[in-house]
This record gives sequence, structure tokens and C-alpha cells, in this order.
Amino acid sequence: MVKFTAEELRRIMDLKHNIRNMSVIAHVDHGKSTLTDSLVAAAGIIAQEVAGDVRMTDTRADEAERGITIKSTGISLYYEMSDEALKSYKGERHGNEYLINLIDSPGHVDFSSEVTAALRITDGALVVVDCIEGVCVQTETVLRQALGERIRPVLTVNKMDRCFLELQVDGEEAYQTFSRVIENANVIMATYEDPLLGDCQVYPEKGTVAFSAGLHGWAFTLTNFAKMYASKFGVDETKMMERLWGENFFDPATKKWTSKNTGSATCKRGFVQFCYEPIKQIIKTCMNDQKDKLWPMLQKLGVVMKSDEKDLMAKPLMKRVMQTWLPASSALLEMMIFHLPSPATAQRYRVENLYEGPLDDVYANAIRNCDPDAPLMLYVSKMIPASDKGRFFAFGRVFSGKVTTGLKVRIMGPNYVPGEKKDLYVKSVQRTVIWMGKKQETVEDVPCGNTVALVGLDQFITKNATLTNEKEVDAHPIRAMKFSVSPVVRVAVQCKVASDLPKLVEGLKRLAKSDPMVVCSIEESGEHIIAGAGELHLEICLKDLQDDFMGGAEIIKSDPVVSFRETVLEKSCRVVMSKSPNKHNRLYMEARPMEEGLAEAIDDGRVGPRDDPKNRAKILSEEFGWDKDLAKKIWCFGPETTGPNMVVDMCKGVQYLNEIKDSVVAGFQWASKEGVLAEENMRGICFEVCDVVLHADAIHRGGGQVIPTARRVIYASQLTAKPRLLEPVYMVEIQAPEQALGGIYSVLNQKRGHVFEEMQRPGTPLYNIKAYLPVVESFGFSGTLRAATSGQAFPQCVFDHWDMMSSDPLEAGTQAAQLVADIRKRKGLKEQMTPLSEFEDKL
Amino acid sequence: MDLMDIYEIDRTVDFILRRNFTRVALQFPDELLKDCTKVVRGLREKIGKLKEQAGVGLFVMADSTYGSCCVDEVGASHINADCVIHYGHTCLSPTSTLPAFFVFGKAMIDVSSCASSILNYASNNSKPFLVLFGLEYAHAIPNIREELVAEASTLSGSKAKTVFHFAEVMCPLINPPDCHKDSGGLLRSVGDGKVSDEPGVAARSRHSIGGLSWELPSGQKMEDYLLLWIGSDNSAFANVVLTFNGCEIVRYDANGNCLGTDFSQQRRILKRRYYLVEKAKDANIVGILVGTLGVAGYLNMIHQMKELIAGAGKKVYTLVMGRPNPAKLANFPECDVFIYVSCAQTALLDSKEFYAPVITPFEAMLAFNRGSEWTGAYVMEFRDLINSSPVEVKSYSEEARFSLVQGRYVEDFDLQEKKVEENEGVLALANATEKALQLQDRSSNSLTKGTVQSGADYFATRSYHGLDMHGDNSMPEPYLIGRTGKASRYQHEEGK
Repeated sequence: MVKFTAEELRRIMDLKHNIRNMSVIAHVDHGKSTLTDSLVAAAGIIAQEVAGDVRMTDTRADEAERGITIKSTGISLYYEMSDEALKSYKGERHGNEYLINLIDSPGHVDFSSEVTAALRITDGALVVVDCIEGVCVQTETVLRQALGERIRPVLTVNKMDRCFLELQVDGEEAYQTFSRVIENANVIMATYEDPLLGDCQVYPEKGTVAFSAGLHGWAFTLTNFAKMYASKFGVDETKMMERLWGENFFDPATKKWTSKNTGSATCKRGFVQFCYEPIKQIIKTCMNDQKDKLWPMLQKLGVVMKSDEKDLMAKPLMKRVMQTWLPASSALLEMMIFHLPSPATAQRYRVENLYEGPLDDVYANAIRNCDPDAPLMLYVSKMIPASDKGRFFAFGRVFSGKVTTGLKVRIMGPNYVPGEKKDLYVKSVQRTVIWMGKKQETVEDVPCGNTVALVGLDQFITKNATLTNEKEVDAHPIRAMKFSVSPVVRVAVQCKVASDLPKLVEGLKRLAKSDPMVVCSIEESGEHIIAGAGELHLEICLKDLQDDFMGGAEIIKSDPVVSFRETVLEKSCRVVMSKSPNKHNRLYMEARPMEEGLAEAIDDGRVGPRDDPKNRAKILSEEFGWDKDLAKKIWCFGPETTGPNMVVDMCKGVQYLNEIKDSVVAGFQWASKEGVLAEENMRGICFEVCDVVLHADAIHRGGGQVIPTARRVIYASQLTAKPRLLEPVYMVEIQAPEQALGGIYSVLNQKRGHVFEEMQRPGTPLYNIKAYLPVVESFGFSGTLRAATSGQAFPQCVFDHWDMMSSDPLEAGTQAAQLVADIRKRKGLKEQMTPLSEFEDKL
Repeated sequence: MDLMDIYEIDRTVDFILRRNFTRVALQFPDELLKDCTKVVRGLREKIGKLKEQAGVGLFVMADSTYGSCCVDEVGASHINADCVIHYGHTCLSPTSTLPAFFVFGKAMIDVSSCASSILNYASNNSKPFLVLFGLEYAHAIPNIREELVAEASTLSGSKAKTVFHFAEVMCPLINPPDCHKDSGGLLRSVGDGKVSDEPGVAARSRHSIGGLSWELPSGQKMEDYLLLWIGSDNSAFANVVLTFNGCEIVRYDANGNCLGTDFSQQRRILKRRYYLVEKAKDANIVGILVGTLGVAGYLNMIHQMKELIAGAGKKVYTLVMGRPNPAKLANFPECDVFIYVSCAQTALLDSKEFYAPVITPFEAMLAFNRGSEWTGAYVMEFRDLINSSPVEVKSYSEEARFSLVQGRYVEDFDLQEKKVEENEGVLALANATEKALQLQDRSSNSLTKGTVQSGADYFATRSYHGLDMHGDNSMPEPYLIGRTGKASRYQHEEGK
């Protein structure tokens, strides 16, 4: 631990070339937090006066209890490099002192939004991969997110101790495993490569891959070993590093390097010969307590042990020795300092991704140059609940300028449009705060390139925001974050005591603020709904709501509820017609399913209402086979004007058609939000207006006549086009040993899941299973799976797609009909669906 | 029962003659219209017998503009009537100009089976009962009361403990206050709010709803009672359930001779109203629907609503359209929510068919007074609202409002700011023009609409702005032959 005062820390924050903002990302249980712990133990900055009685990492009781990280937590590290070590560093620097702002993020998919928020305010990422389990689904997700944000990654192959102790694999096998892990990671990085960020792939021989054992607190990069051997072989370090990886073999008998295994017994790969074997040997000697052999070896390596440490035995001895020999903190921190960009470097290429405004204005330049004297540009990426209930710190990153206590700032919310007054506030910052361990220290100001927490703005910032100086009215906001998960699981909550309702409402407000992903809303029936990414996420949210945001007032939660979508299977069997209330106007319409992939394209925003009509016509005709003229006749998307349903005008020569367009659109927005089956949103339906008959007198074809009629005819066309329900489906990834496979399959079968990929991880006894699982069936899935496999399988579920349920909801007794009845009952609707005759009229 | 008795001809004639009314309007609801000629004949005969010179004009009014439970004063004034006799179901809302006499009608009820099923239920219950009833059963209440007392006394000890309180019918005669011109007639507060008597006298709280009133001993709350409703499941009953949503309620159905205790549907209504309030909070444009031209104080209420809405920074339009229906309301798609100012029993309009929600003035107060919270208390009669909370522009915190409907924080437009903008003198017109141009430009290029803050904004975002101009083609168009035939099926559609 490094003991600092706030002033000392503040001094380093000015050295923008000596700052590294980085997040630790990985799949769940690959050892992020453990690794972070060992870094913090060595280099964490804590306030001088509290040194000794704080533990950095236990922030939430439930995190410790479950053994997983839930919220991302930021910690500052201080590291002083030696001149010698920096000799080969080419970048700009001010002295040898480095400040590393590290954010430990959760690995469970349900909390991916926390990762997104962490990535936004960092420039580099330490990707942790379990050397045995390899690259997993969440590793890929977070890597993709990181590259999308132009975050430069470095890799550490973690849990090396498992190789030596558990599996006891020999050198060559271990090498193959490691190189496969690295290769897999590189494949992902190459897939999502960004031209401006350049080549992000990681190479052990370049020092961008570390090998670590977080649990035992040791780690190395090839640099460490190259330094050791360079002088011995009389080559420089870079050359030596190259020899220590890849197809380079050394035969001590002939003392020759070759690029192929010569086949002689003593010929071994460079990595095995010079890195793996020595470590293996040391560990073996320690574990066997062969101290007489150990001390000379250590002496040779220049490792000095304290006398009391010499009395340790076996595992503790091994840990101590390895920590002294190859301390994790120095290997990893040096790797970060060398290979991850400083804010000054990173913001030069990140500005394009960050700034929404013109890239040549003063604010873009300020961000690009990380200029402390330029106008303030600060992005708040999350709100952290403060110790006094109901208040929040706004946590974010200063991209340019300085934020000072008392400064009046312009707060641009996510809905702010430059030039308008919507979602815009001007307020003063009450305090600027930096974290020193668990303690918050108020500082006068925080310059660009650093993370900061602000007090006094929480009333005006909802989830995230861009801050700038009061006078900078021309500044555009920083782009909003994109989340990789969506809230598909919902529960209804109500208070046990009716009079607690105001507390519940207040609590929901705060919950919505504290978590970037959760959505708190109210149903048509008046029920309060909390929607989250998964079961675990919801569980945590409910706990927070009850304990922290409602002061312990009791709540009752319903069983998890899944929202469905309504779609159609075929084109309407006939053109349906509805008459307006005055019988003078008639709308003729047909429904048909959208082309495959179009709904997804609308979801992703590739096709949408804001597109240039020409572009839209091009995509629709080229990718989805639409007629070009037809593509220009889209009236609208819906629900909420952006949803994956459309109205297309197929009429020919209808008089006054323009006049009723707005009314039809209004009716469609309404109907597509509440489909005819169970008032769920519609999805993937294209409504074609076939013909329209209107009264000649404008007064008789107003909104009052047309809006309700449009709604009715849309319902009628949906009913005649074989309506179907869509249910959300998770992609589940499970990693488990072979003997657990039987259990996994039987649980999946029982839950209507189906496996679409099963793969053995080469070199390990582990199997990787990918399956689709309906979200409805996923409740309690982890528990059942754990029970069926005696705790050996742990699933990760991510929402993947909407799947059509094959049964006909209009046919009594089918599964879909039952579902529709259940939903209608829950919503307090009439149990029977309204029949077609209510919507369709006859001439 | 014979018509003379059901329609209380004797009492009516007595009322007319005693007060020397000469032009009398008889208001019938649709379902009783079939009896009107018989009633008129009966009244004529009776009046003719008692009064020599024929001077009383009787006029039948039907198909009233608003709910048939209220006195249609405007209709009555068309014939210069000087009093209204109202038949059938009524909300007993006070009138503002004309005296009114109410004939509730008399519905059949089996007194003994009613009493026995009530007692049967009461034997399992220790709470005191408060008996409320539909006005059409008012005639039978004294009998039921006697029966209950008689039967209860024959029962032994513990069971007889159950106490029955009976509500009383307020006078079936309403006189408008004399000074109606200035205050709209709000002299006595007859709400269900507690009105304590003179100090010194043991304070008893007085409640009333829908023409019934009762007193509770001091120190007792409505929640201490079990409400027993005798009558059908109509809007009057729905009012009771909503207003006293904290109480346990049972209903005796006179037609089926049975007690019902399951009112989840009614509770659901309350939750649904809560949702509508939340939805109203997101509204930018509000329409006030005038649902009555008779109930005393309706003008005050409308003014109060206007102030309230303007204070909340929203735009308000007042609409008079008689009884609202989906088609009428959809003619105003720019309104995000409607407030229906009407008598308590027609106030609850909730149907999926409406394009925008319709809420009551009480709900509007919850929605548009920032800081007010939904506590479960519910007020139906707007008379009780007028005095309850004067509209004050509170200095609320500027925190963005959390919209439960959208599930996120939203920002309300600040009208004060807007006003300043509008008053910026010489440039105001130029600014408005510029704004209109901007909006138009946006709508032509994309399929989305921005948020609108007034009806004018709304029309600017519409894609259709009036006549379609066809560019540079100055040639006269050839004339087209239109459709022929009836609107329900034009001639060219015959074949289909």
C-alpha cells in the first residue's frame, strides 16, 4: 500500500502522460477481482491517516457472500518505475511516477452494463483469461465492447497455478494451451478491429501478454525473463523475447537455437526451457519442502527472502517465494504502463467515437489534445449511491479542462439536442471528490485525463450526462453509451403495506438512477414493474430497492414475468376492411410478416425512420428484396415511431389519402404497441394499406373517424394473417467437465432448451456447450443445473433472439392460447380475445 | 306495484302545487322513457283534480346531453321551466339554478331474505356494519332495518353484538342557493370530508356520498366499519368502492338475493386509475372536457383546472362535446390526456377504445401538482376538491421528474420560460415563423415527430398541411367524375 495525502495524489494527476486509466474485464470467475487485489495490495493508494484499517475490495456485503463482483469499483494505484526499466520506453513522460486508475468490473453477463460504463471512462483494458477455461462468451462480449469504445487491450493468462498444481501438465502441453488462449483472443480482436486503433492483437513476445496466478500473487511477462537471459546469451532484450515464444527451440547440449524441434531429448521450446521449467522447478521444490535445494536456486535468481519467511512450509512458502521472485504488481503494472495508452495518447483517436459534434470545433480539439486549459468536457458514466441515503455521486471522466469545486457547469442529458433547452441544466458542482480506498477525499479541482466523482449534481443527472462550462453553449454532448444486454426479465413489485406506496415510488426512482440497465416502469394495470437483464440482476436490484432505497419497507414481488411479442406467420388470407364510426370511410388493409432479418435491422438502427429515404430504399431493395418504389412508400415505423413494424402505402390513386396519413399513423402506433392477442408489442409485421374510401367532406374523415378505424383494421389484418407469439430466447453457454454433460442435457431438455454447439476445449477435460433456452424457462435454471451436475456447471445467459412459438394462439387448448389467456388475466383484460367480427366490417 | 306508487305521483303533485310551479320539466332517463306518457297522464289527472284553473305545463325531457343522473338544467331552461322533476337513478348532485325534485323509483327487494342473509354474514363478523344502498331501494330500508333489529334481538348473546348503522337519504329535493350568480353555489360543503360540528358538542364526523349521508361517532374512522351495499353493481357502487377503498365491503344483490364479497375488479380499477395518473404526468397538452352544465361549481372547477395545468407548464384546451365517445375524442389527437369535469357518477370513463386517457379532476390534481403523492385516498366529487387545495405554485425542486410510464427520467417543459420567450416583443413573430419552418423541414424529411407543446406545434408536425400544391403544372386538371351511391356502399363497390 502506498500512503498518500490528497495533495500528493493531486500532484500526479496533472501529469497527463503518466496516467493510465484502465479497466479489468473478463468472463465471470476468471479471477479479475483476485488479481486486482494483489495489485491493490502492492500499489493501492490510501489516505495516510486510515492506512492499516481499510480493506479496499470489500465494498458490498453481498459481493463477498456470493463471491462475484456486482458493481464496478474504481481504485487508484501508484507505481514508480526505475530509470532502467523506462530506458526502452519511447512515449512521452514526466518523471518516473505513474498513476493508474483501475476499475474492476463484474464478469457476470447480467451486469454487463457496469462494464460498459467502466469502459467509457478508461483507455485501456486488462483482459483476464483463465488458462484452462480459455476465452468464454463473456470474454468475447467485453472484448467486443472494449474495441467498440477504442479501448486498447492487454491480456493476462491467469490461474497459472492450476497448470502446475492441479493439472501438472508438462511444458509443451502448457505452451500449446496458452498459445491457443492467446490465439482465440486475437481472433476476436481481429474481428472487431478498428482502423484508427490499429493492430490490437496481443503477442507475448511483444510484452502485451502476461502470465499470472492471481491467487498466489505472482505474474510475469516475457520481458522479465528476457532481462534475465539477455546478458547470458549476449543478445538484446527484444531479440531474447522473440526467442522465448513461438517456434524457437534451444538445445542445451548443443547450445544452439533452432526454429524446429531437432528431436533430441534435450531440445525444448524457448518458452518451456527458460520460463516454464524454472517456475515449475521452483514450485516443485517449495511444495516438497526441499529447502536445501531451494536456497541456492533462489540465490542464483537474486531472490532474497526475509528470515521469518524462511520458516514457512509448502504452499505458503511457495506463494511467498513466487511473490518475491515474480511480483504480480510489477509485471502487470509495467505491462500497463508500457503498452496501454495515456489519456493524452488515447483521446487523440477516441475523440471521434466520443464527441457528437463537429470534429474540428474547439471541444473536439480540446478532447483530442487532452488540454487542461481548454473548456471542460466531462462524461458522467454512472451514479454511485452515497452513504447518506438518497444521494448519489456522479462518477465520470474529465476529457478536457478541469472540474473545480463550485464551478458552474452545463449539464447535457441524454436527450439534449444542441440549440434546444430540453434536458439541459446549469448548476454548480458542490464538491469534487477523488477516491482513496474506501475514503473519499475532497480536492480543489481535477484535471483532464482523470476520473472524478462530483457531489451536488445528482438531482439533475439521471443516468449519464456530459458536463461542460456554463458559457460553452455551442458544445455538443459526448455520445451516449450502448449496452450489450437488454432488460428482458421483469417482476411486478408492490408494497406489503399499502401506505408505503410513496416510498416504493421513491425507491424505484433511485434504483433507476443507480443502475444503468434497470428499467422501472408501470403497467397499464397499475402494477410497478422492474425489468433487468437476468434473474441475478433482478435479485440484486430488488435487494437494493428494499434495503437501501426504501429503508427496509417490505415489498412483495411477483414471479418473474417475460414480455412476449406478437407477430404474424403469413400474409392475411384476404384484404380486410373496417368502416369508420360514421360508416362513410373505409380502410382496406393486409398484414404480412417482414422479411427475415428486417426486424433485427430495424432494432439495430440500420433501417429506421430517421434514415435518408434513398438509403433506406437501397438497403430494403438490395438486402430484403423490396421493390424500390415501394420502399419509398413506408408511412411509419412503430411502436414508438421506431419499432420493428411498418405501414406501407400500396394504394393507387386514392383521393385525400395524404390527409388521413397522420391519423392512420396514430392508429398504428397505438395498435402496434398493444397487439390484438394479449396487448403485447407487435414485432416484424408489415401492414399494407390496400385501398381507402373516404368521405368527400373533410369534416367526416377527421382523426375521430380514422384513428379508431385504423386501429380496428390493423387488428383485423393481424387476426387474418395467422397471428403468432414470439418468445424471448437466451443463448446459454455452459462450461463443464465431461461427467456433468448428462445432467446438463437432461436439464436443458426439461426446460425446452436445445444445444446447438458442443465442443471440447482442446487440451482440457472441459466441454463448452452452447444452447438456446426460452427466457420463460430460465427462472431457477442455474439452481437446477447446479443440482443436476453437483455444482460443476455454471450457465451464462444472454438474450439472443425472439423465437416464434409454433402453436396457434387462436386455437383453444394450445400452449400459445394458454399463454395468451394468462397474460390477459394478469393484465386484467377480458379473458376471451376480441373476435375478428368486432374489427372487420362487411360492405 | 302500480305506477302511481313507483313514480310517487302524489308527492310530486304536492311538491308542484305547494310551490306554485307553472312550468315543470320532467326528466326521464332512456330506460324509463317508456313510462313517461303514463306518468304525465297521472300527474295531469291529479293536478286537474286539485287545482281548478289549468296552469301547470308539464314537459318531458329525454336524451339529456350529459349523464342522465344529473339534472339537465340547460335543457329545462329551453322551455323556461321553473323546476325539474328527475326520475330514475340519480347522483343527487346539487344544481346551480333550478330547484329539482327527485323520484328515485322503487325497485323490488325481498326484505326478509335480505335481512336473513345479512345477519347470516354478520354472525361471522365482529366489525360494526354500515349499511349503504342504491337510492332505488331507499323505500325498503326502514323495513329491512326493522327486520334486522327484530331478528337480531331474537338471537342470543354474542351474535347480537353486531351493530348496524344506516345511512340516510339526503332530502330528495334540491334548492339552488340564492346567490348562485357570484360563487356558483358553494355555500355548504357536503363532501365526505369531515365536517365537525360546533365546538363543545361531542364531535361526530359526517360523511356523505351519492345522496346518502351518515354520521360516525367521534374517534371512529371509516376503516373501522364493514360497508354493506344493498343494490346493484352500478356506478354508484363503484364510487363507494373507490372512495372507501380502505374498507371491507360486501354487496347484497337484490335481484339474485345473494351476498357478494369479491371485488377484485373494483380494486383493479383503482390501480388502473393510478396508472392513468402516472400517464397524465407525461402529458404536454391537456383537454378539459366539460361533462356537465348543471352540477354546482363546475365553472369554478374548470377554472381551477386551467390554473393548475398552466401552473404545471402544460397547454390546456377546453372542449364541450356532450357525452364523450372514442370518435369524438380522437378528433383531438393532439391532447395527451383529457380531464372530464362531471358529476361523480359519470366521472369514471375508462375504456381501451379511447385514444387518450380520460381522468377526473381529482386525478388531475395528483398528476399536475408536483410533489403530491398517491396515498390511496380517492375523491370523486369535484365539489370537495375546490376548497381542499387551492392551487399554489409551489417552489418544487428542479429535479428531473421520473416518469414511471416511460421508465426513465424526463423533463417537463417550463412554461414560465416559454412565456418570457413569447413576450419578447418585436421579434416574437419572426421567431415563431422560424420555428414553424424548422419543424416543417424536419417532418418532410423523416417519419418521426418531435414532442409538441401546443396544438399549433402539433399541426406543424403533421405531414399534411392543407391543400397539395402540384408544383409548376399550371394546366387546368381535367375534371373527374366522383362516386355515386350511398356511403355505406357506393355504386362502383357493388361488385365486391
